[in-house]
Amino acid sequence: MSLLILNIPSEIVNVLVLIFAVLIICSIVFRLIYSKKKNDFWKEIIIRTNSWWKIAAGIAILVTAPALVGTLLIAYVSFVALREMFSISHFRNEDRVALFVGYFAVPIQYYLAYNNYYEAFLYFIPLVMFIAIPVVLVFNGKTEKIGRSMSIIPSLIMLTVYMLSHLVLLFHIETANFNAGAGGLILFLIVLIAFNDVFQFTWGKLLGKHKILPRVSPNKTWEGFIGGIFTTAIFAVANRFLTPLAAEQAFIVGLVIGITGFLGDALISAIKRDLKLKDTDDLIPGHGGVMDRLDSIILITPIYYHLLKFLIR
Amino acid sequence: MKNILIRLFYKFLVRPWLTFIIGVNFNNQEIFENLNQYIIVANHNSHFDMVSILAALPGIKLKTTKAVAASDYFGKSDWVVKAMHLFLNSILISRDRNENEPSAIDILDVHLKHGNSLVMFPEGSRGKPGLITNFKKGIAILLKNNPNIPFIPVYLDGFGRVLPKDSKVILPLVCKVRFGKPVFINSDDTNVILSEVKAAIFDLQNNDERDRNKFDF
Repeated sequence: MSLLILNIPSEIVNVLVLIFAVLIICSIVFRLIYSKKKNDFWKEIIIRTNSWWKIAAGIAILVTAPALVGTLLIAYVSFVALREMFSISHFRNEDRVALFVGYFAVPIQYYLAYNNYYEAFLYFIPLVMFIAIPVVLVFNGKTEKIGRSMSIIPSLIMLTVYMLSHLVLLFHIETANFNAGAGGLILFLIVLIAFNDVFQFTWGKLLGKHKILPRVSPNKTWEGFIGGIFTTAIFAVANRFLTPLAAEQAFIVGLVIGITGFLGDALISAIKRDLKLKDTDDLIPGHGGVMDRLDSIILITPIYYHLLKFLIR
Repeated sequence: MKNILIRLFYKFLVRPWLTFIIGVNFNNQEIFENLNQYIIVANHNSHFDMVSILAALPGIKLKTTKAVAASDYFGKSDWVVKAMHLFLNSILISRDRNENEPSAIDILDVHLKHGNSLVMFPEGSRGKPGLITNFKKGIAILLKNNPNIPFIPVYLDGFGRVLPKDSKVILPLVCKVRFGKPVFINSDDTNVILSEVKAAIFDLQNNDERDRNKFDF
């Protein structure tokens, strides 16, 4: 009854109930195994599952709460991701003011997204921030290695703020002709991204032979990649009740999500490898940093948004 | 009343601000259980250091934990002194020896005798981020005089980037307050004690794969 009062679409409720059911079963089973075996591996798994609970709770809030709450939630995740990338990247002492200015991209970009100022939303970071940050650096004076800072700072803002802020635009998509609404579109994306990781990993473990990016992430194989994206595409067709997409449209969106998810993962892996880090941070116990979780989602969000806009016209 | 307000202030304002905005992580706080008196010893890079250590403490310890600060730096204006007494529970000591006043060691000794705990930065002033400079001897003399009080080594990781010495911009960046296990001293030689304190902090510095203090590449 309460769900009816809160006006949450039944499609979303069903998926969320399923997610939490899986989490409950996993938590119980893992704890039972741990109580028998008592080794570090299962302890790590339990820590990971506990973090999944928090992530799932965040997702549940995101897809059911009003747009303002969702916006604030994504904006904060964006801020933490940006802070994380600023923290692990190499900068000069003279870059501090520019980094400080960079943080202001978060509230401004999400303000634009929330109010659907679409044009300003599109050019604010690629234009305004890409001019403002180098100018601040120039006025700071030190020119040694300035080019490096000029490119890294706006690019990190692009990666963590601009990309992710497209999720907020989903709240403004015309949702009259389907039931699940913006929450459904977001949930569809998140579920597919999460399962895409799982599918690629599983196919890679089962059949993986030919390495796809041996120097960036040695665990990724062509078999895992191809098996993964097609499984994700089929999974997308099965989950299309969250969206207004037709079966063949959902299949294409699933493929694109699979491919860009893989690319985003590889991108962050390459950055981490350059910085000689295993994880971007240790904020989420068992998972690493926020960016370790967001890696496969960052590239897809703008593409997903524009693809949807094109398909739902 | 004042104490409750300060505890609430730390719990609901300082701590959330530090963790959610600035990006401070606290770890290993369980070492404070069953510990009445201690001297916290940390490396010093930033004005953020003291407030972060105090925010990391269990609320009940705030009343008895005193921040040791330099009177020649902070004692210049009246309202700074008052604010420091109110929010940091501070003891101002002079870094230069003055014949007419009781020595800094004596002042701190009295506080320890009264059952208070201390937070000290034995480097004496904020050094360059990531570099731990020489420790002043005072901490060793205090520990030698009070062998029943352990010291708690703390490595502050990354605070030199959040607010370094020569800057006024507070930059949110991930940083860590890393507590070590309390250590009791059983030596009479201040040099030995000093190197023991220093080794404990270096140990904490080295047991993480990343050192967030470094900025310049």
